[in-house]
Amino acid sequence: MLRVEHLTKVYPNGTVALKDVSFEVPDGEFLVVIGLSGSGKSTLLRCINRLIDPTEGKIFLDDQEITSANSTELRHIRRKIGMIFQQFNLVKRSTVLTNTLNGRLGYANPFLSLLGIWPQADKDMAMAALNRVGIADKAKNRADALSGGQQQRVGISRALMQEPRIILADEPVASLDPVLAHSILQYLEQMNKTDRVTVICSLHFLDLVHRYGTHVIGLKDGMKVFEGAPSEIDRARFKAIYGEEAQEVRATALE
Amino acid sequence: MTLKNKSIIAALLSLIIPGAGQLYKKAYKRAGALFLLTASAFVTVLWYQHKEWWFAAILIWLWVVLDAYQFPKNSITVLPILLWLVMAYGIGWQVTEMDPTAIFRNQERASIILKPMLRPDFTRPRTESLTSYVDIQVPCSPTPPLAERTNGNGIKMSVSPNCANLNEYVTLNVTGFWPEYPATMEWHSPIGAKSIHEEFQINPDGNGTLLFQVKPIVNIAAPDQTLPQMHRIVVIQSKPLGGIDISETGGHILRGIYETLSVALLATLIGAILAIPFSFLAARNLMSSNPIMRIIYVLTRTVLNIVRSVESLIMAIIFVVIVGLGTFPGMLAITLHTIAALGKLYSEVIEGIDSGPIEAIRATGANWLQVVRYGVIPQIIPSFMALTIYRWDINVRSSTIIGFVGGGGIGFYLYQWILLQDYRSVSASFISIAIVVMLLDFFSARLREQIR
Repeated sequence: MLRVEHLTKVYPNGTVALKDVSFEVPDGEFLVVIGLSGSGKSTLLRCINRLIDPTEGKIFLDDQEITSANSTELRHIRRKIGMIFQQFNLVKRSTVLTNTLNGRLGYANPFLSLLGIWPQADKDMAMAALNRVGIADKAKNRADALSGGQQQRVGISRALMQEPRIILADEPVASLDPVLAHSILQYLEQMNKTDRVTVICSLHFLDLVHRYGTHVIGLKDGMKVFEGAPSEIDRARFKAIYGEEAQEVRATALE
Repeated sequence: MTLKNKSIIAALLSLIIPGAGQLYKKAYKRAGALFLLTASAFVTVLWYQHKEWWFAAILIWLWVVLDAYQFPKNSITVLPILLWLVMAYGIGWQVTEMDPTAIFRNQERASIILKPMLRPDFTRPRTESLTSYVDIQVPCSPTPPLAERTNGNGIKMSVSPNCANLNEYVTLNVTGFWPEYPATMEWHSPIGAKSIHEEFQINPDGNGTLLFQVKPIVNIAAPDQTLPQMHRIVVIQSKPLGGIDISETGGHILRGIYETLSVALLATLIGAILAIPFSFLAARNLMSSNPIMRIIYVLTRTVLNIVRSVESLIMAIIFVVIVGLGTFPGMLAITLHTIAALGKLYSEVIEGIDSGPIEAIRATGANWLQVVRYGVIPQIIPSFMALTIYRWDINVRSSTIIGFVGGGGIGFYLYQWILLQDYRSVSASFISIAIVVMLLDFFSARLREQIR
């Protein structure tokens, strides 16, 4: 159970990214966050693992307060929360295997990991993770030699290495074409269904929201303007969240 | 005020100070540019005494006056700029004393330098040699020592009489040399100056005799010509062994190249290591979080830029004065230049770093050192290495020339040979430098390809 209470984030330049956002995510949920670019989706996700420190408000994972954790506690919390990014965020010059192993850094021996030495168990686990996303044959390739869809699968295998309880996915398919988008989201769905991993995912397309989400939050200008089941989101609600001018742009997504 | 009156005032103002009229009409940039254009033309004509170009300067000024009158209606701007350029290039032609035919006029002098260049002095035929000496007193004292000596190889040399006065004839007798090979006699004065130089034949028994005159030149440097002193008669015999050997010059070149490469290697390594801290201080993305850091950033950048703009040859002159001649000042100069150049290049790599992977690795629960090891270093190391190899390439080039100001290496020898007009050696060093630089170019390009 993840609980967000009265979360507010004001950036040093005065931008209010989040305004008093509260919600709860029960274990095993596939929560979709929707909203315009700049509505605070990325900030919200990054506050959960404190890549960004919120200005006000609290976040609890079970009964542990993430927002007040010290750095050691925070690292222990972070390693239980996998994260997937729109731009994949792989280390381009490192191999696929190394990028996958990076997901294990929170568990690794700090000294040996600095020397680049990994236990065989971690390597086996990494190969298993790559196998699961179907790119075990690319393990020795450099990350930037892979296509966009393949890179995002490395991103997923990196998150798998964390044996996560929660996956934060920040627009994981916004840089991919629709076919690839489904294949990536199916991996997330699989983790959600078979491994009981809670997924919090920001998406833009209504059909994807309906297809994968079990619960939806809508953000507008940093405020929560909608919370409910995916089926409650229709054309009108979507338009309310995305604004009038979104109608044309989003037309295909709505059909 | 009517536009016409305003224009007349503007024209008059520009007649007093070029550009003032444009200023009056509030065309500030135009005023500045035209002032500089006219002023630079007049500085050239008056200060540098190129009086034949006064017409260009005056025409430019008149045009500025006309422009002040017509503005904002555009005059033909290309006219004064063209005039200015014609003047600049015309003076440039005069200042560089352009004389292309001079290249082809001095064939005699060209052949003095170019002919030996076709025969670079790298090798000589392999020889072995026998040598021995005997000492003789010049001029004679009442009791001269015996002028006779047998060396460890059984070569016996004697002179009769036992001493000589200037202009007298003496007879040199030698035994134990290689039969039927020519031998050379060299006269070494007490200070080591070689004066008399004669060849003679060794007979089938290994003996030889040479009658020669003790010329006054042997005593030319003596402070007191009447004081008897011991001079040395050296006999050298050499015979070819077949095959070739590295000549004396070749040896100097090999040593020079070795020094040059060492200087470059050391300067690059030390420079690269010292450049790293500076590069972090000069990286905008790391140094923009507060005003103090921003000041440090600007200061570091400025210092790096200033140091980089001073040619390493000039730094070498300074270091030669401070630490003395040798390879060390050359290395210091190149190191300093390397720090500045690599510091800037490294900082640009750091500025270009992708923050995405760093964020992703932080999100896995990695600690700070792990983030640096897995998120930062893989991003910067390949570029750092490529830049360092590139710099090594540059450093070898500059360390070949740094010897010209006393910084050691091949340049030091080359400079001596140029002064001595030993163009065969000069040519040999040119060729060696070219080969080294070409090889290096090739390998550094290959290495850099591998890293990308």
